[in-house]
Amino acid sequence: MSQVNRIKGGLIDPATEITFTFNGKAMQGHPGDTLASALLANGQRLVGRSFKYHRPRGIFTAGSEEPNALVELRKGATQEPNTRATVTELFDGLEARSQNHRGSLEFDLMAVTDLLSPFLSAGFYYKTFMWPRAFWEKLYEPAIRASAGLGRLSMEEDPDRYDKGYLHCDLLVIGAGPAGLMAARTAARAGARVILADEDFVMGGRLNAETLEVDGKPGSDWAVGVVAELAAMANVRLMPRSTVYGAYDHGVYGVLERCTDHLATSGGKPRQVLWRVYARHAVLAAGATERPVAFGNNDRPGVMLAGAVRAYANRWGVAPGRRVAVFTNNDDGWRTAADLVAKGIEVPAVIDTRDAPAVCDVPGARHVRGAAVMDTRGRKGLRQITLTDGQMIDADCLAVSGGWNPNLHLTCHQRGRPEWRDDLAAFVPGRELPPGMVVAGAANGAMTLAAALREGCAVAETLGYADKSDLPRAEDEPRDCAPVWHVPQSRARAWLDLQNDVTVKDVKQAHQEGFRAVEHLKRYTTLGMATDQGKTANIPALAIMAECTGRTIPETGTTIFRPPYTPVPIGALAGRARGRAFRPYRLTPSHRWAEAHGATFVEVGNWLRAQWFARDGEQGWRDSVDREVLMTRGSVGICDVTTLGKIDIQGRDAGEFLNRVYCNGFATLAVGKVRYGLMLREDGIAYDDGTTARMGENHYVMTTTTANAVTVFRRLEFARQCLWPDLDVHLISTTDGWAQFAVAGPNARKLLRKVVDTEHDLSNEAFPFMGCGEVTVCGGMPARLFRISFSGELAYEVAVPARFGNAMMGVLMEAGREFDAVPYGTEALGVMRIEKGHAAGNELNGQTTAHNLGMGRMVSRKKDCIGNVLSQRPEMLRDDAVKLVGLRPVDRATGLISGSHFIGQGDAATMENDQGWMSSVAYSPSLEHSIGLGFLKRGDARMGEILRAVSPVHGREMEVEVVSAHFIDPDGERLRG
Amino acid sequence: MAEYTLQAEPPLAGAEMEIAGVRLWAPADLALVSLALPLGGEDAALMAIRAAYGAGLPEIGRSVVADDGTRLVRLSADLAFALFTHATPDAEHVVADRLNGAVYTTDQTDVWVALALSGPNTRRALERICPIDLHRQVFAVDHAARTVMEHLGVLILRTGEDDYLLLSASSSAKSFLHAVEVSLTNVNQT
Repeated sequence: MSQVNRIKGGLIDPATEITFTFNGKAMQGHPGDTLASALLANGQRLVGRSFKYHRPRGIFTAGSEEPNALVELRKGATQEPNTRATVTELFDGLEARSQNHRGSLEFDLMAVTDLLSPFLSAGFYYKTFMWPRAFWEKLYEPAIRASAGLGRLSMEEDPDRYDKGYLHCDLLVIGAGPAGLMAARTAARAGARVILADEDFVMGGRLNAETLEVDGKPGSDWAVGVVAELAAMANVRLMPRSTVYGAYDHGVYGVLERCTDHLATSGGKPRQVLWRVYARHAVLAAGATERPVAFGNNDRPGVMLAGAVRAYANRWGVAPGRRVAVFTNNDDGWRTAADLVAKGIEVPAVIDTRDAPAVCDVPGARHVRGAAVMDTRGRKGLRQITLTDGQMIDADCLAVSGGWNPNLHLTCHQRGRPEWRDDLAAFVPGRELPPGMVVAGAANGAMTLAAALREGCAVAETLGYADKSDLPRAEDEPRDCAPVWHVPQSRARAWLDLQNDVTVKDVKQAHQEGFRAVEHLKRYTTLGMATDQGKTANIPALAIMAECTGRTIPETGTTIFRPPYTPVPIGALAGRARGRAFRPYRLTPSHRWAEAHGATFVEVGNWLRAQWFARDGEQGWRDSVDREVLMTRGSVGICDVTTLGKIDIQGRDAGEFLNRVYCNGFATLAVGKVRYGLMLREDGIAYDDGTTARMGENHYVMTTTTANAVTVFRRLEFARQCLWPDLDVHLISTTDGWAQFAVAGPNARKLLRKVVDTEHDLSNEAFPFMGCGEVTVCGGMPARLFRISFSGELAYEVAVPARFGNAMMGVLMEAGREFDAVPYGTEALGVMRIEKGHAAGNELNGQTTAHNLGMGRMVSRKKDCIGNVLSQRPEMLRDDAVKLVGLRPVDRATGLISGSHFIGQGDAATMENDQGWMSSVAYSPSLEHSIGLGFLKRGDARMGEILRAVSPVHGREMEVEVVSAHFIDPDGERLRG
Repeated sequence: MAEYTLQAEPPLAGAEMEIAGVRLWAPADLALVSLALPLGGEDAALMAIRAAYGAGLPEIGRSVVADDGTRLVRLSADLAFALFTHATPDAEHVVADRLNGAVYTTDQTDVWVALALSGPNTRRALERICPIDLHRQVFAVDHAARTVMEHLGVLILRTGEDDYLLLSASSSAKSFLHAVEVSLTNVNQT
């Protein structure tokens, strides 16, 4: 039999045997085991090497506070490092490996660092390796990182699935121990919606690890009964394997549910779900964590916390050793001795730091009063302990208890500070708790079973969930404790933080060197970092710092507890937001048509827009874009412009509303007309532009830029509701409702005449530039037609209900076949708007004003509007302000560079000589050279001037000529034709 | 006879599946028209709605089904939606004619896409994406709320004990369907 340390009893299923491997060696365990309990059952005491000194380490605890037993699980892409063996549920086929050693676990070559420990004390890397300086990043740091550390990532993409979710409840109970079960039962019986979450896979908390009775039966049986009752209630949700890792604002709690970690494969199921729980109230019943006492060589495999030793014996039927000595400063340690003896395990001695009578009878054990363990022996596992009185006792396991610390971490997640209780020698939750949270049981300092049950019930009743049931019967077990943090007689290194290899000496050294605040102590020594966050180490360490400084422990204080309580995998935080599902995407109505016709798509916000439509024989995107521009300007082109924001505005005061949100006047806009409008921010900076069409007496349709569609709508809604609630105005977005196509080019009217129903007159006289109206197309289909032009050509935008958009694109192309109509994408759109000198996002970049854009006279002085007053500040109207101009290279073969800065001829390229910047550039196939738009100081008065456009980023500069921004058709004859 | 005709291609046309015992489908021909109550003309507007539909506009966050099957959803003090089955693209005119100018109407049919879910696991699946509390004590039948699911704005309506109607922007219909489908799949396998 391989399970040499398996004993009878426990909550495992002994009839079923499951096989797992540790470092390739096959071992056996049972359902209900953790990896740690199964390793101990198989006699595997050495499970890893320490972070810094590569010292042999074993299992230290039986819970999520484990600092030592970190292992790699699984292999290949699903390999996961730094997993705590103490909370890893055993399953058939589990593969586990120890980590952080070079060579085998037993013969780690890096153990040599332990011999160098006198040179590697706390903060050594701040003081050594200082010379030569250049070696730090290239040699020293990589070498230190390679020799220290934890597990290894697979470096492959995580193939598992993760999900997120939202839950709501009246009461979230955190922890399913005696207090949590009572709180949940009380509230549930009172009709509350209860969520009971516990990080363990078996609910019951310490009841499963103890032999204490509730209502005359084993506590674990009582827990099973309560859990069964709760499971049958429709108003209760039980969440085992779920860690409440954070308490956030407004009653929101983060919960990580491990759905398939206990299975060999996830089988396509979400491995973990990250829940956001909205709780009206929460009961923190997270129990307490035992703390060690620091003494010489207290890190050997076999030295364990006493409560954990008891848990392995009682819950998992495992003897952590054959001769288990107990070292305690409190009554609770004695229960470990008594339980072990009851299980037939030899206990050679109970060493109590208190000079007091035995707490209970422990047959066969020597009671050593007023003494302490000061050293241990055993190279890869404990063999012998040495006491302060010189006695040496053979033992292969030492159960250490230095008292218990309430698990109050979540009470501090909103900056609550814990308070010290002398009677417990521990911090308890302070008075400032997260709103809605109460604390019960050991987490609140109620350290006995009967007290925990009472408190669990009482807090639920305090929250208004009254239950008439009697309290279950239980005893208040003895819990006296006389604090001892370390054994000063120890000459060997005494370990405080096993995960980070921090010793008592390190803390004293930090004090000596002035790092006396706990936050400094943490950063200097690395105490309390990494996966366990110092759950077993922090309090003893700060107690020693208090000794050094002469202050009290509460005066010394604790570091801030922050989420997460235990590690949360990055995969769980990402959830399903991976790859293509990282964020939603929006498709234009003609997306399918574009896909079928060779479009290359570009992300514009969440939209996917056709960037260009490549044709056979074209060598690159420029070929396609040049062709689209030339064919549009030569005949007709069609572009899906649905992405522009559309806001339907109705109401008797809609015109007045527009007058107030645009800087230019809209009061005189006639029905059937469109007007360009510019919006300003409150501070007078240009905000967004677009057109607004008056479709009826009280009905307008506004377009916004694609980028600002949502923010403009939000801004207008704010103005409507908050600034001018007395106006009868109603807004609703119709962006997605209409498929809108620009039809541009000299043959645009001819093309549309084939599509728009004949009763609508499209002649220049009947439907002039900046006209609009409701029409029908294709035999009665309702549509809207706007005669507006972004390209500078004779152009229209025709809109049909979006569901007909894909078909409409096909119809337009079919109707345009005789004109060689082309679809064009966003690149050609951009080229044509630069050729025409239209400002876009690069020009309305949050820094420019109407004055800069050459639209200063648009800001009407006859009316008020948002931004009007502040736009008239003298500084914003300076004569030497930058003005929008056109630029072209003196050497026409040169390509302009967007972002270049304008410097005078002969001036140095410095900030002092900066005269403006190039905001947009494009190759103009119409002009056959590069063109640009930019902002230049007094630009409107400098036509024809030659400047240098300097791009330090590219290390290039070129001569440019200042010209009108309107490269094509400056008088607008085409678009009015 | 026009030379060209246009065929409707709703973004989620034909989407229908059953996962985790939940039927998920995109209702066909669902028309939406927004109803905005004029400032100062609210009483007349409410009377016109009652006269047209035989049902008054419910309180904010509630919906009511009129005699003709139109579901009236109150979204805010001055805004409601009328949802009804109507295949042709003239839903706004149909509603406007019934209300005779007492209400500002805007066609929202193509702005939104709808997904209907039905089945006992629906709520469990929606827990994965819906931040609001759908418990029957909080979100009862005929309740309506605007929320966000997977970054998408959604109007959710409870149309039955285990029946919900979700409305979201039509341009992101595929992402919307994917989000709901993944939720059902994940619940199915958990």
